[in-house]
Amino acid sequence: MTYMAIPNIGNYTIALATAVESLGIKAWASTATTPEALKLGIAAAPETVCLPLKAHLGHFIEADRAGVEYAFMVNSVGTCRLRYYRHMIEHILKDLGLKIKIFGLGFDGFKPPIVRHFDPGPITFLKPLFHTAVKIKIIDELEVAAWRTRAIEITHGDTTLLMNKLLVELSDSKTMARTMAIRKKVAGRFAEIPVDKERKPLKVGLVGEISFLRDKCLNKNIEYILGRQGIELRNFFLLGEELKNITRIVFLNQNKRKYLSKVADRYLQCTVGGHALDSVAHSIYCADEGYDGMIHVCPSGCMPEVSVRPILKRVSKDKDFPILEMSYDEHTCGVGIATRLEAFADVLMERRKK
Amino acid sequence: MNNSCYLGIDVGSISTNCVITTPEGEVLFEIYRRGEGNPIKSVQQCLAQLIEQLPDRFHIKGVCTTGSGRILAGAVVGADVIKNEISAHARAVIHLYPAVRTIFEIGGQDSKITILRDGAVVDFSMNLVCAAGTGSFLDSQARRLNITIEELSSKAMMSQNPTNIAGRCTVFAESDMIHKQQLGNEQKDITMGLCHALVRNYLSNVCNGKEIKPPIVFQGGVSANKGICRVFKETLQCDIIIPPYNMVMGAYGAAIIASTSCIEKTKFRGKEVSAHHIITKGFECGDCPNSCEIIEVLDEDEVIGRTGGRCGKWEGRTEPREALKGTGQMGTVAGSSTDRKMEHQTCRQVDNVPDLIQIGVPKK
Repeated sequence: MTYMAIPNIGNYTIALATAVESLGIKAWASTATTPEALKLGIAAAPETVCLPLKAHLGHFIEADRAGVEYAFMVNSVGTCRLRYYRHMIEHILKDLGLKIKIFGLGFDGFKPPIVRHFDPGPITFLKPLFHTAVKIKIIDELEVAAWRTRAIEITHGDTTLLMNKLLVELSDSKTMARTMAIRKKVAGRFAEIPVDKERKPLKVGLVGEISFLRDKCLNKNIEYILGRQGIELRNFFLLGEELKNITRIVFLNQNKRKYLSKVADRYLQCTVGGHALDSVAHSIYCADEGYDGMIHVCPSGCMPEVSVRPILKRVSKDKDFPILEMSYDEHTCGVGIATRLEAFADVLMERRKK
Repeated sequence: MNNSCYLGIDVGSISTNCVITTPEGEVLFEIYRRGEGNPIKSVQQCLAQLIEQLPDRFHIKGVCTTGSGRILAGAVVGADVIKNEISAHARAVIHLYPAVRTIFEIGGQDSKITILRDGAVVDFSMNLVCAAGTGSFLDSQARRLNITIEELSSKAMMSQNPTNIAGRCTVFAESDMIHKQQLGNEQKDITMGLCHALVRNYLSNVCNGKEIKPPIVFQGGVSANKGICRVFKETLQCDIIIPPYNMVMGAYGAAIIASTSCIEKTKFRGKEVSAHHIITKGFECGDCPNSCEIIEVLDEDEVIGRTGGRCGKWEGRTEPREALKGTGQMGTVAGSSTDRKMEHQTCRQVDNVPDLIQIGVPKK
């Protein structure tokens, strides 16, 4: 069997693994970067690049060691250095003397090179793609349900456990029928978790760099730590929403970013790249919607998010809205993160009491 | 007469502190102890000191641990509350000085600023990855000049004409300091220059963008250094309050938190813990490719707590390792308890669901 390594984007990796089947091959990945992969990536990458690149690089090196022949890396136009990730990773892997072959998402002509290389039949190609879309939708629903229940669950860990169980099921599901069956039971299973309905959890938004928002290894499991403090989260990166946005652009010419730039107009008029605009606009949105606070996750050395930091400080001051800056790199220790998050939860609680 | 009292323990990077308060928040007893890189031993030594000095009529009604070693210390002594140090420090200050609006706290590895308004924390900031501008910076420089940290403080106060030293980074500061030394600058001026460097670093890095309004309280281990206090006063042009228990404010705050959190029955394992043989053992979880390292705290052969792990399956649990690992037998674990919630909990442990899902061929 031919395997292809795909980048980790948290739980969505499960859905993307299905998409790879459309090429007639199997995916190789995990739902978070493993510590081993991170170690390999840090050793191989230049020191000053941001941590997501190191994580992806390490992941591909690990893949090569496991005997995987192909790899796939997104290279989107218009975002930050992510645009050059594939080229950089390709060069570094070549310098290391590894044989793994990396594909990008580039178009030259009608078919992308990756499709041309594997050349699957139309039915093999399309069926898994629909399946992927459904899986992405389910993972979106899972995430949203988990944020809500984790904050009010009576026994700590119930939500995480159920979530992991359903994700394993989803990952094993090979047919559309089984996936749809899982989708039907998601809401019911989450409703079964014993929760404290009286509790009014704090509401906090989470914005920042996408790899960090999704990868549990990189963000030191921030969603779990916050949930345990009794904080209802809203993570502003949902892959389903992003895909919906792309469909809207293609078919209806309605870009969500147009709306976001209208919201953020007072603070940010030009494009900075990455998800900078989203971070600013969503912070303003949360401040107006009556959220209790905001957490901005930013890898040190990430250009768009670093440029956003002073802007968020201004938003925080203008709207009297607490925004916690979390700066991560490979030396960040879990204790420091937990301390800041706990203290932030205390601050929000006191604000609410007033 | 009321003989109940509350214990606060602050396990920091450099020191371990203990404070005992009355329910009203009066300090009965304080210990500041520089730990030698062994938090368990330092906590035990603090407790041993307690046995000697605390009259027998006092009963400890509640324990709260704080500081970066709070979870470990909590497991060792059996803490009722485990609180982060930012809240603990703020709590102590609010108790002593309700009107304070800014707290500077510089400890061994951390430096923090906390902004308070109307007796509540509204904002805080903590130094990022680098320990420049903290106590360890002063410590290492004092060692280089071959003087103790106390001498550094008194020497700095004698200086009239402080030398300018680059304080952005400990490494740069050191080379700059050697350079100034070779030029012939006096040692007292160099030490004062260090104080200036630290304050400059603190104000520009940690306090960046924060509104510093008096009254200001300055605490933490570094606040014992008079040179630093003087520089702060000169730079900010206002008075700085040094609280009476400036070195142990974290532990004091923890004790106050313990006294106000309505503990019915304390989980405190007794002062005798100091004589126990407590060791830690590390092992790899291995349930998923995360391979988290779990630390077990053992009192003789009994597991009294665990730390580490990303999915929270191990944290604070004392059940046998096999039961948690998911390899235990279903019947023996789940059937033993009659309490519904307990049964629910034990059932949960036998489920073996990985935190990280593997797709494709196994990773090596």
